[in-house]
Amino acid sequence: MATRREFIQTLGTTGAALAGLTACGGSSRSTQAVPAPPPVPPTPVPASPILVIVNIDGGYDWLNVMPPNAGANLAAYQAKRATLGITDPTLLTDLGSGAALNRDLTGMDDLHAKGRVAWITGIGMPNPNLSHFTSIDLWGQGAAVPAGTGWLGRFADTAFSPSGDVLRGLTVTADLPVMLKGGNRSFISIPSAGGYVFPSYLLSGNAVADAATLETGWATSLNAASADLAYQAAAQAGKMFFDAQNHAAFGSGGSLLARTPTVAYPGDATYPIKRINGSNLTSSLSNQFKLIAQMIAAGLPTQIFFSRLGGWDTHSNQAEDHPNLQRTLGGSIKAFWDDLAAIPSGSGTVQDRVMILGYSEFGRRVQENNGGTDHGTAGLSFCIGKSVKGGLYGGYPDLSNLDTNGNMKFTTDFRSLYATVLERWLGQAATTTNTMLGSAYPRLEFL
Amino acid sequence: MATLTAITSWTLADVQHFARRAGFGLNPADAAALQAQAPGTAIDAWIDGSGPGYDLTAFNSALSTADVVTEPLVTASTSDTGSVDVPAVPGPHPFLVGGANAWRNNLNTAQAYWAWRMQHSPYAFQERLALFWHNLFATGHHKVNNASLSLKQIDLFRGLGLAKFDDLLVAVSKDPAMAIWLDSVLNNASGNNIPNENYAREVMELYSLGADNGYNQADITQLARALSGWSFTIAEADYITNPASPSQKTAADGHFKVYDGSALAPDTRAYYGGARTNSPNQHGTGSISLFGQSFDITTTANGWAKGENALRSILTLRASNCAQFLAKRLLTHFVTTGFSVQDLNDVAAMIQASNFDLRAVMKTLLKSQYFFDPANRFALAEGPVSWLVRAAKMLCPSLAAASALTPKGFPAWRLVTNNANTFDQMGMRLLDPNGPNGWKEHTVWLNSNTLRYRTKAAAAVALNETRSSNSTTYTLFPTFPTTDWFPAAPASAQAVYDRLVALLQPAPIPSSVSSAWLTALWPSSFTWDTASQAKARELAFLILCSPSGQLY
Repeated sequence: MATRREFIQTLGTTGAALAGLTACGGSSRSTQAVPAPPPVPPTPVPASPILVIVNIDGGYDWLNVMPPNAGANLAAYQAKRATLGITDPTLLTDLGSGAALNRDLTGMDDLHAKGRVAWITGIGMPNPNLSHFTSIDLWGQGAAVPAGTGWLGRFADTAFSPSGDVLRGLTVTADLPVMLKGGNRSFISIPSAGGYVFPSYLLSGNAVADAATLETGWATSLNAASADLAYQAAAQAGKMFFDAQNHAAFGSGGSLLARTPTVAYPGDATYPIKRINGSNLTSSLSNQFKLIAQMIAAGLPTQIFFSRLGGWDTHSNQAEDHPNLQRTLGGSIKAFWDDLAAIPSGSGTVQDRVMILGYSEFGRRVQENNGGTDHGTAGLSFCIGKSVKGGLYGGYPDLSNLDTNGNMKFTTDFRSLYATVLERWLGQAATTTNTMLGSAYPRLEFL
Repeated sequence: MATLTAITSWTLADVQHFARRAGFGLNPADAAALQAQAPGTAIDAWIDGSGPGYDLTAFNSALSTADVVTEPLVTASTSDTGSVDVPAVPGPHPFLVGGANAWRNNLNTAQAYWAWRMQHSPYAFQERLALFWHNLFATGHHKVNNASLSLKQIDLFRGLGLAKFDDLLVAVSKDPAMAIWLDSVLNNASGNNIPNENYAREVMELYSLGADNGYNQADITQLARALSGWSFTIAEADYITNPASPSQKTAADGHFKVYDGSALAPDTRAYYGGARTNSPNQHGTGSISLFGQSFDITTTANGWAKGENALRSILTLRASNCAQFLAKRLLTHFVTTGFSVQDLNDVAAMIQASNFDLRAVMKTLLKSQYFFDPANRFALAEGPVSWLVRAAKMLCPSLAAASALTPKGFPAWRLVTNNANTFDQMGMRLLDPNGPNGWKEHTVWLNSNTLRYRTKAAAAVALNETRSSNSTTYTLFPTFPTTDWFPAAPASAQAVYDRLVALLQPAPIPSSVSSAWLTALWPSSFTWDTASQAKARELAFLILCSPSGQLY
């Protein structure tokens, strides 16, 4: 049963959400600041924490998400972002410290005002790489050893049961990013909730004759010993699915228990914020979050979820695309966060147990090109949760002191974020954490 | 060391290895016929598409009368490559999506069209090579939004896939779909404008050199200036009208032009439409410095476009880097990922020595003792599109037989791509990669989700899946075990297994697995009856789904 404090808190969240949505007003940009309710103190890290990763794919132009709004950085920004810069105070929520939040990042100002968001500005690495694909690999790996593994994959190697835990690390994307690959464990990929049990989904869902023979026969081939590494890779991938689909959460029809979201998400007809042209926002990230909420509600024993919103490679057409992308990103996160409060967990809700981590492979060039921005370096990550001590971490890059390519110098090593999450959210010992990351990176104090 | 000396004789297993990698497989009879030829002669003809066996006349004729059974949603455009939704037009329709059917602008139809070509074109190497180049020059429909232009790019690979690599690279750089995909059409470096470096970066990182291999950020910025204004125009004749909605039309083609403010040809529109007579001025002028050399990008020479001299310098000034890049991609797709540094260097040296003549390169590589090393047989995990195409090619009727069916025996791909998005689910949304880096190959194809959907595709092709469209039920992949799979009735369960393995050609299946399958399917005596024929389908399904079935 909810305590009185929790009840007020929930009401406050809902009320502020409505206020925020109304203020943003349909397809036009918001012009009115939301009065900030007092921040809510962080709660202790829960006993069964859940981590939800949001990959902001394509290298997002966070300088326009959290632009400088005072001092020398503002002048530098205005000079290099003559066309695309976001400087109108009515479009921004002041964060103090000379930075402001673009209110197109729908709902995030509300989460920030409650003290739920830790922003890590200027996050990056030494010797940054301006290639999407190299940088994605670097962010995924976190350390170069062992080759081909990711920081969360190595967590799985350490923490997951070698013979079980098949659903403990899960991506709702169809691919398996390097971040989620371990030396001997990988995450499972489940991008949809329906028809998951083999062989129920074959033949357009029509009855499959000899289903038991097919199931046993396929399992026999997946479990066969082979010295061939390629055979092993294929068998491991198939076996992972085969083992996962036996979980009781996938009912007899192979589908997760249905769940109706309790709030409107971007892309829903009832969601009030639209694209600049008035059409519905994409539901790409919303659908992933709805699925994650459904999976949590259905009782999947998943500790880490991975999701992705692409489209951030705004070399061109940024003035239109970037606001739409921000509305989708912020709005989806806010809707998901609010939706989690409706899923009971112990004496509270799942919201008590979830932390959302957003990251992108790099930021973009300070100097705009003719209609967009090219690849850059240092980025902006964020963590959202009840246990998070909200505020700005790292340091905002000096926009007057750029590298030889005109890109920002990073202020916080991205592995400091990983170390903080591994040790303080996922409960790994300090030495284990350091081993997974290859070195002892300073922890950030948001947890 | 990669021994690139050509083989002088070959076994049936060699022939089948070659046909799987350099095409989409051959059934045992066709493989035996090829084996009867000397390998050098046979491989030359296979690659060149020369000789009666590779004649496209009957294929093109069948293509022109092929139909699809459904068009649930079509998109067309009002003026340029953007599109609007229009109501469905009841089928059947001619299968072609290029030319007169460009108004349909439908990714799924375009995918089906290409898959059908892969399955049935007698010049299989042309389609295999196009598939290779499509992954390398990966261009996505979700941004191009014009299926006709996407297929024009694939046609470019058919035409220039065996040309000199520098000529291919230049042609791709001028290709309209690519120009939209990586923002060349928006790269404006005239006056004080700062260029959009999207294409300049990727043309070196993804298309010719590889990341951090012989260039730096300054080179990217400079090459972006050289290629600024590289766009295309659309002639009035290129606009195709939607028969269901005559006011709507879409561009079926585009013609490269440097937008330097010069006059447009009569009855020609700039890419962004309108009634302009001149191209907008987007091309930078003067000279640039690339790889330490200066290039005048204002003038033209050798019949080259403005800035083309800079683009071509990637191959002249960074030849060894480019050869290494190409060698790695060719080895990964056609031979093995298990190459040594020495192997890579040997192939790169061969490429450079050929002066980047792709025809010579492919012939040397695919005839080599290295390619035919038994260690490289089944050493790769197969991509999902060619995996499914090969299964269909082995199990479905021939082109001639399919043409006699009603509908013509190839609605499969249209229904597969549309209703089930099968390619997407298996991890390769053909013609629409997520990013310009395409798809990683080999074991990256295989994860818990893609394997799951491979079982679904295997069921469609082996278990005779049917699906309804417009109130009619169709078989997705019409298959006829008693005639096509087993022209002679098998006498035993082992004979069923042996024949299916000969058709589907999986990597060696552990004997413990195959014996367990046969015992489960035929626990007692064997009779070649209807029940056994259904069991044969199940066995084909198990072979296709098994780990061995993913390797080729």
